[in-house]
Amino acid sequence: MSASWKQLSLQILLLLVSCRHINTKTPGPTAPPLIPIDQLPTDVRSVALKGESHTEKVELLNPVNLTLECTWTGNQDKLANITGLWRKDGEEVKNSNQTVPMENDQYNLKRVFSIVNEEDLGSYTCEFGSKAKIDFVLAAPQIGDVRDKPIVSYLGDFVVITCKMEETKPEPSTWYWYKANGTDKEQIIAAEEPLRYEIKNEERNTKLVVSSLVEADAGLYFCGAVYAISTSMSHVELKVISFYEPLKPFVAIVIAVIVLVAIILLYEKSQSKKNITAAENGTTDQTNTLTQGETNGHGESSSMRQRKV
Amino acid sequence: MSPAPADELDHKPLDGGWGWMVVVAAHISIGFAYSTPKVLSIFYKEIQDNLGASSSEIAWISSIMLAAMYAGGPVSGMLVTRFGSRPIVMAGGLMCGVSMVTATFGNSMVYLYLCIGIIGGCGLSLNLNTSLTIIGKYFLVKRPLANGLVMAGSPVFTVFLAPLNQYLLNRYGWRGSFLIFGGLMLNCCVAGALMRPVIVRCKTSNCAPQKNVEDKPNESNTKLKESCMKSAMSFFDWTFFKDRGFVIYLVGSILFIFGAYAPILFLSAYAIDQGVDEFSAANLLTIMALVDMFVRPATGLIASSKWVRPRIQYFFSLAMVFTGTVHLLCPMIIIKSYSYTFLVTYTVFFGIGFGMVFALIFECLMDLMGKERFPSAFGLVTMIECIPLLLGPPVAALLVDIFGDYKYLFFMCGTVILTGGLFLFVMNIYNYHMLEKEKPGKDGAQNQMNVEGQEHVSALEVEMKDTPEAEMERSEPEAKYANAVQREPQPESAETPH
Repeated sequence: MSASWKQLSLQILLLLVSCRHINTKTPGPTAPPLIPIDQLPTDVRSVALKGESHTEKVELLNPVNLTLECTWTGNQDKLANITGLWRKDGEEVKNSNQTVPMENDQYNLKRVFSIVNEEDLGSYTCEFGSKAKIDFVLAAPQIGDVRDKPIVSYLGDFVVITCKMEETKPEPSTWYWYKANGTDKEQIIAAEEPLRYEIKNEERNTKLVVSSLVEADAGLYFCGAVYAISTSMSHVELKVISFYEPLKPFVAIVIAVIVLVAIILLYEKSQSKKNITAAENGTTDQTNTLTQGETNGHGESSSMRQRKV
Repeated sequence: MSPAPADELDHKPLDGGWGWMVVVAAHISIGFAYSTPKVLSIFYKEIQDNLGASSSEIAWISSIMLAAMYAGGPVSGMLVTRFGSRPIVMAGGLMCGVSMVTATFGNSMVYLYLCIGIIGGCGLSLNLNTSLTIIGKYFLVKRPLANGLVMAGSPVFTVFLAPLNQYLLNRYGWRGSFLIFGGLMLNCCVAGALMRPVIVRCKTSNCAPQKNVEDKPNESNTKLKESCMKSAMSFFDWTFFKDRGFVIYLVGSILFIFGAYAPILFLSAYAIDQGVDEFSAANLLTIMALVDMFVRPATGLIASSKWVRPRIQYFFSLAMVFTGTVHLLCPMIIIKSYSYTFLVTYTVFFGIGFGMVFALIFECLMDLMGKERFPSAFGLVTMIECIPLLLGPPVAALLVDIFGDYKYLFFMCGTVILTGGLFLFVMNIYNYHMLEKEKPGKDGAQNQMNVEGQEHVSALEVEMKDTPEAEMERSEPEAKYANAVQREPQPESAETPH
């Protein structure tokens, strides 16, 4: 009998432990928190819904025990009770389904979530029946200034790729750079190749200097702003081209210019030659009129003269 | 145009024919001159990132370029008078091309200041003066129209070069873009090739049968020699300051330039401040350039008309008054809820005013000084205009910083331009009044008064008939146009109503 008691007590103990974990942990695999969950700082976000749905952005820097509170004034039905539900990234949070009574003319849903690492971030939704919902989008500060056009540079030249965190957002603790290698990201460690890479970090921005470019350097580069909770990424594309590429249109333009200038000057010469021969063959009177108030291009003026405006 | 009589002294402007090709050439030349400092700014962000420069450091490139372009005026004026337009424009185009190509290899800001700012700016200053001078040689009656078409080059090139530069930047980065842009600037050489020198024949009894005005005059006619030499040597012709009309014009244009550019530079920022999004704010400048493009030739056409041409100085001052008023009304009338619509309306009116003034600004100087004195006068004017050009935008920026509100910028610019316009208007009335009073005493000795730089060459000849340009500029406004018109159908008589 003592064995079964031991078994039972063990089971009860396990049950208690697992019950405790259900309340505080979110569904999905998570890494164990470095700080015990009880000692995390706490924060509250509450939203009062006036309508059918609302999205609230929550910016987090550090692990936190976050209380999310939803308040809804209800619709014309004014039910006494309504089902309340929490979802993370669309999936229902276990044991969050509950009946919410109407108090003081509104429905109230509140839950505490432990946000400790990157997987805990995401979209948390509180739902009132299927009538109303509020989305809380939990994320680390995102890099806003994303450059959509690729940077173009030349073989043998150097290029400076920058990433900046806006003034309105909190500073990251540090910055990392990655280069895309197929589908992976490979971190760039400047110390390994000091002649080629240089990383200059200031609090709000970071610069990656890639020198002596070769074709292999082209591709996608990622900068990561590191916060305690996660790393925000932004990417920039680098294109490396040879100097012959702009040289070709340049040479084409220069040739076109030379040809045009030659055509214009030759035309003018041929015009003046024509008129000189005409002058030699013509009368004195014609010579007089030809040599007066005229330009080098006699053609137009003489014809106009004949028209006698 | 009808032929000149056998004893015609000076060159009768063609007013057509090859002149229109010269208008195209000058259009290209002026287009590059005015639009290059503006459209280069598209490359600045990229260069800033690459070379690690601050915004103010990079803005200096455009400032130095504009300053060099305007300060080089006297030198280019002298070169034009000495060598004629064609070689100078070709040299200017070559200089600009070389400047951009060398800038391609730049790695420091100082290098860029030197290449683009100084060499490029000097190249552009050679283009600027010469293009306008040659219009004066080819056109007289239709000159305001020709000037309007030529000045339209600035907005046309801005509208086309801006997206082109953006494309080049995306495709080739800033270095390749500089290289290709340098190639494009070589088209100024093509423009120069089109600028055929004008040949003038002087009196058969005194001179060789054919004489080129731009050659150093060493023919027998001493008066011509003196006057041509004087204008060629007049590097800094301080006697211009004795000319009342010139001083009035100078003061008016200084006031205009001071207030002209700041609203353009801050228009986007003001729009964003009023709640407009960035893309639409950038569109405002394109709208202004598009309006400007059509207003300039239209103004030239109006100014060529019979009724306006004699009163062109008044038309110019009215255009300035209009522009100043538009600036003053903008912050007073703006309604926050319709801000974008209102801003578009303001931009359209601003474009109209700006275009009108710029179409006339050099035509009026030509009108005052005559085509011989124009290059040196223009050089002097642009050199003096350097100061308000460089001071205007920083002073406006200072106002914005002190008061934290853009409306004071508009008040300042509007007031300055309005004052300039009113000053011009009133002083021109005074000037013509004084000229009226002075005229009867000077009828007989008129030709003595018409010294260097006028088209007529010999005192004897001129006494017989009134000098066309001098008569146009110094006599009553009504006489001017009548004179010009009369020259067309009755070339032999060349009389003027007195």
